[in-house]
Amino acid sequence: MGSSPSSAPVYLPDSNQERVKVLVAGPFGIGKTTMIRTLSEIPSLHTEEVMTDAAAHVDELAVPDKKTTTVAIDFGRLTIAQGRIVLYLFGTPGQRRFKPLWSDYARGALGALVIVDTRRLADSFEVIDLIEESGLDYAVAVNQFPESPEYDEETLRLKLDVEDHTPLVICDARDWDSSLNALRALSAHLVSRAGGSL
Amino acid sequence: MSPGPARRLVPSYLATGGVGAPEHSRFEELTALQATGRSALPHHTPAHQRLLNLVSDGGLTVMEIAGYLRLPVGVVKMLAAQLVSDGHLRAAAPLPDALAPAINAGRPDKALLEEVMHGLLAL
Repeated sequence: MGSSPSSAPVYLPDSNQERVKVLVAGPFGIGKTTMIRTLSEIPSLHTEEVMTDAAAHVDELAVPDKKTTTVAIDFGRLTIAQGRIVLYLFGTPGQRRFKPLWSDYARGALGALVIVDTRRLADSFEVIDLIEESGLDYAVAVNQFPESPEYDEETLRLKLDVEDHTPLVICDARDWDSSLNALRALSAHLVSRAGGSL
Repeated sequence: MSPGPARRLVPSYLATGGVGAPEHSRFEELTALQATGRSALPHHTPAHQRLLNLVSDGGLTVMEIAGYLRLPVGVVKMLAAQLVSDGHLRAAAPLPDALAPAINAGRPDKALLEEVMHGLLAL
């Protein structure tokens, strides 16, 4: 039946929990969905958001006479701290034309993990700009494909124009430990940016 | 000069049986919803009922409900607003509290960030 849920729901922990989100940002095909699937404790879900070219955040429903775009947002969930915190990972497209939607998802986010691919570094410039404009702190995860050119960290920082304090980690989005390591690097960075102790 | 009536933002085909304009703007993607166990009312549409069924045994966020029901987040917020106002759903706002824009505008809480970090390290 088309209207039935795609799978049995995995409910939130019974206890009171704090629900927070981190953006996993990058251009299409960079490995956002792969990383979310790797880390998520629930089968990753997606919503399809309709965005009008003008003022998409004013009314989420499509206005028929405006040009509309449908954007799929993948997301997953990770319960930590004995169920006290549920961390959501929102896969967020990096194109500037999705900015209205982007701003909605950035609101209230703890920070962002930007995924880059050394074969197409320039594709990630736009998303890094968007994140910097939003004021979110971020870390860069270099998703390493077998045939990717390997750069040293200094060269990558230079090419991506990211500041020295911004973490830059190499990862494999298909691998749990590796993806978790990237998320840990982001979270340690967020703590240090907030003046907390590591 | 008196301002005219506010423009109705909820389209008529989704209007919810004339029970008042739902304030769906107070729901966030991470607002958690759970059914209270009351049975559906005559003005509840099949979409309302699917939402109630989905969260009858546990809580889910607006975002997850949209994913499972394959509905846009904005539509889930409207359905949820109706069901909360009818007493069929309980809603818990996420942190930062969506009702407190001043908090929302600030940086994430340091203690929370530390707990996230320790939580991730413990995995």
